[in-house]
Amino acid sequence: MSAVEIVLSVVKVLIMLLFFLNMAALCTWADRRQGAMVQDRVGPNRAVVHLPNMLARGIVLLPPALFGVLAIFSSLGALAGRAAAERFTVNVQLAILVGWFSLLVLCAKVRSGGAINKAEEMFADVDPRSFFFAGLGVHALGLVAGRLVPPASMPLAAQVSGFVLGGVFLIVALYATSRVPDGPIPLRLAGTLHAIADSIKMIWKEDFIPKNADRILHGLAPMLAVFSAIAVMAVVPFGPDLCFTDGNRNGTFDFSDLGNLVATVPASGACNGFLVKMQIIDLNVGILYIFGIAGTGIIGAAIAGWASDNKFALLGGLRASSQMVSYEVAMGLSLVGLFLVYGSVRMSDMAVWQGANAWGVFVQPLGFILFLTALCAETKRVPFDQPEGESEIVAGYFLEYSGFKWGMFMTGEYIELAFSSALLVALFFGGYSLPFLHADGITIAFGDTMLFQYKMTHLAVSIISALAFFGKTIFVTWVQIFFRWTLPRFRYDQLMKLGWTKLLPLAIANMMVTGVVVLALRNAGPAADSWLKLLADITQGFVAVATLAGFVALVVGLLEPVERKKFLASSAARFAAAMGGVKPEPQQA
Amino acid sequence: MEPLDRDLEEGLLELPSEPMMLNMGPSHPAMHGTVRIVLELSGEMIQKADVQIGYLHRGFEKMCERGTWTQIFPYVDRCNYVSPMLNNVGFALAVEKMLGVTVPERCQYYRVVLGELARLCDHMICSGAMCMELGAFTPFLYFARAREIIWDIFEEETGARVTHSFGRVGGMANPPTKYFKDMVRAGVPRVLQLISEGEKLLLKNRIFLDRLENVGVMSKEDALALGWTGVVLRASGVPYDVRRAHPYLVYDRMEFDVPVGTTGDNYDRFMCRQEEIRQTARIIEQALDQMPDEGPINIDDPRIVLPPKQEVYTTIEATIQHFKIVMEGIKVPAGECYSYTEAGNGELGFYMVSDGGGTPYRVRIRPPCFATTQGLEQLITGLMIPDVVPTFGSLNMIGGECDH
Repeated sequence: MSAVEIVLSVVKVLIMLLFFLNMAALCTWADRRQGAMVQDRVGPNRAVVHLPNMLARGIVLLPPALFGVLAIFSSLGALAGRAAAERFTVNVQLAILVGWFSLLVLCAKVRSGGAINKAEEMFADVDPRSFFFAGLGVHALGLVAGRLVPPASMPLAAQVSGFVLGGVFLIVALYATSRVPDGPIPLRLAGTLHAIADSIKMIWKEDFIPKNADRILHGLAPMLAVFSAIAVMAVVPFGPDLCFTDGNRNGTFDFSDLGNLVATVPASGACNGFLVKMQIIDLNVGILYIFGIAGTGIIGAAIAGWASDNKFALLGGLRASSQMVSYEVAMGLSLVGLFLVYGSVRMSDMAVWQGANAWGVFVQPLGFILFLTALCAETKRVPFDQPEGESEIVAGYFLEYSGFKWGMFMTGEYIELAFSSALLVALFFGGYSLPFLHADGITIAFGDTMLFQYKMTHLAVSIISALAFFGKTIFVTWVQIFFRWTLPRFRYDQLMKLGWTKLLPLAIANMMVTGVVVLALRNAGPAADSWLKLLADITQGFVAVATLAGFVALVVGLLEPVERKKFLASSAARFAAAMGGVKPEPQQA
Repeated sequence: MEPLDRDLEEGLLELPSEPMMLNMGPSHPAMHGTVRIVLELSGEMIQKADVQIGYLHRGFEKMCERGTWTQIFPYVDRCNYVSPMLNNVGFALAVEKMLGVTVPERCQYYRVVLGELARLCDHMICSGAMCMELGAFTPFLYFARAREIIWDIFEEETGARVTHSFGRVGGMANPPTKYFKDMVRAGVPRVLQLISEGEKLLLKNRIFLDRLENVGVMSKEDALALGWTGVVLRASGVPYDVRRAHPYLVYDRMEFDVPVGTTGDNYDRFMCRQEEIRQTARIIEQALDQMPDEGPINIDDPRIVLPPKQEVYTTIEATIQHFKIVMEGIKVPAGECYSYTEAGNGELGFYMVSDGGGTPYRVRIRPPCFATTQGLEQLITGLMIPDVVPTFGSLNMIGGECDH
């Protein structure tokens, strides 16, 4: 293993660790703040960092100024033909986007903090939504205007638009900096800093160990719980393979080759240079490794329950061990159908197969439901959180833990939550692939009918794919958090009954039916293959349309006027209003 | 090596085991800090349960005997802090029974509406807390939101959100506000809507139904023998409702159904509460229609009701009267009485003895929860630990009035 490969591995480990640790903190924050969120606030919001004025100004000024300068410098060189047209369109659209978004932010600032000059007073009266709609209109106008420019003057137009974009960025940077008030700037980040404050607090809290507890095991248990949660993330691919050429032609992959990312790769993704996998390690046992390591999480819970010298904790530990062991069986078997279809247990192969054909959720819908259920039980999430059972056995196996040991159990649980989402994405939601996005760009085709094609560079496709993976993971985590908020929990014997008498037989049935179908299709000949390809393309189209519809629905939802639908302003509120009103407390913002 | 087919006695194969003792509570989320259950467990199965109350002992009855009749109202508020208005009304009716007076008609309707609003709160919080203790937090938030609406009405009417102390002997502390009827008419439909939305999350949920159905069954006979009243009794199949059996105030003029359960399990208790919420809404609607807009709220008897403040400041008679009532208390004729009303979770009785002075000689409360809680041991024996939570929740025990 060469030095560059070691460095790349470290970088990949850091990417995954940082993502999952941050997700764990954010999930804890989101998961435990339901009561506050229902009241349209984010919960405790008191954790604050006071940034020095200069630093705050720098943070506001530097990024947009940098972008602006970059835009201007990159417009100095002349472009020709299609590249110029593309550059012009991108510049214009970006400038418009930056324009209306900045106006929107300014409007919000003016509304909450008051205007400082005449121009800003005008903003306070404008409905913020009109900026958005006006922005959409100008976007469309910009597209039309791009067609009106004669091809001969396109290079000039590209340059001018670049200067305009840079100018917009610089104006935004300077004006936003001038709006930063004097004195230290309190930074709250919508309450997310509170998660950090909580973890700092946990480190300094007393580490209480019951008198008769087994001190060694009591200390070992949280480490085991976190270890298994972290170790499993090694085999999940989070992006497509990167392809580098041998720049100096010495036949070995070294640091200088890192600059030689190939410009484009063919649609098959084939690479004749050095391949860097966006995956910490590509094991040929893949998913089996995950099952093996995830199973050790039980040991942490069981040891914690036993070593705590507490009967509630003992019950929790026993529940944890029996529940997690039994659901491990159903979890493994529910995936066998998927292995048959993909023809591999290697995680990277699975992602490639889903990108080329259909997502796993379409080829194995029953398997998906079974796996999701078993996964929830395996990660001890509601409605399967009997080991914790906060209203029955108080906190279960981590009842006697305090300070950061307790924090490690919590971190482990929420890393598991985020990781289980990543696993669901990798197995059932296409991994890093997006519908119609191939290694060489966007190709919308149904069967043999080509509808649309747009070539993209290898770098662009790789970045978009990696972002897609993390985006999908965040979305699935969000869905899983909703389970916890809504569902009541099972009773312990009902849970076992569900696992052994419902999930397991269904998983076996799914496995057998899939086996028969796969065998039949293998022998069916090329006609069936083309039909399957068409079906797969249709599912991809379905996903694309659903994503678009979801995005539109989200925007429409965000744009709905926020009116606190109060039945009555209470007499206390009326009294306060009569006294001149009260300023909202920061923790209620 | 011993032969595999050696005969072994079955009994020897079993590992010796002994029951595990487990203290559930008083500091346990489902035990409200006021109840302890000493469990004998075999695995998670409850073999024996010893329910112990009394961790909130305040000496309610002794406190009542130290003050005047009027000073008891804040105490009865704290008895059932989920529906204090019903306790206010119940205690006022008890003293009025001893005095032999009847409040004006408008006040009777006013008391009915306020009391039924409090009943809505009581049932919603009980059902919501039961869901929350099972892990379903969202339905609880729906119910809590509905309760906010009622609390807003109470705040407008009484000036306090939770402990109103709004009842008075011979009337109420204040007449209804100008917008009282409008507020209730606007609020109750929204409450019912929120209730339906919360129910949608629960009643089609297999997990929720499995947790409640056929858990904690109480037969009709046992329920009667234990002295149960209220929803828990009706869920076991006995259609006894004080409002129907022995009508007080103007309940004889109201049309409403008494929901009755069939099996007496947790599910029946939950569903009876939900149905009673709807029946209560019916009563409120009728009472609002019949309630006169004009007329006195308090009885016209200066020995019982405080004179208006304006007169206290301007006339000597009113000043004297004011001081007589405040300093010495209302003179209730010597004698004893038992007065009972339908509170949120059953029959709320006050047994009181007067020696003719301004202070009660003896007050004894019959809280519905006390009788209900003594059935808990019978309910949970043979069930599992997780079943304790919904079963105990479905009894709607309120620590304040249960403890003696």
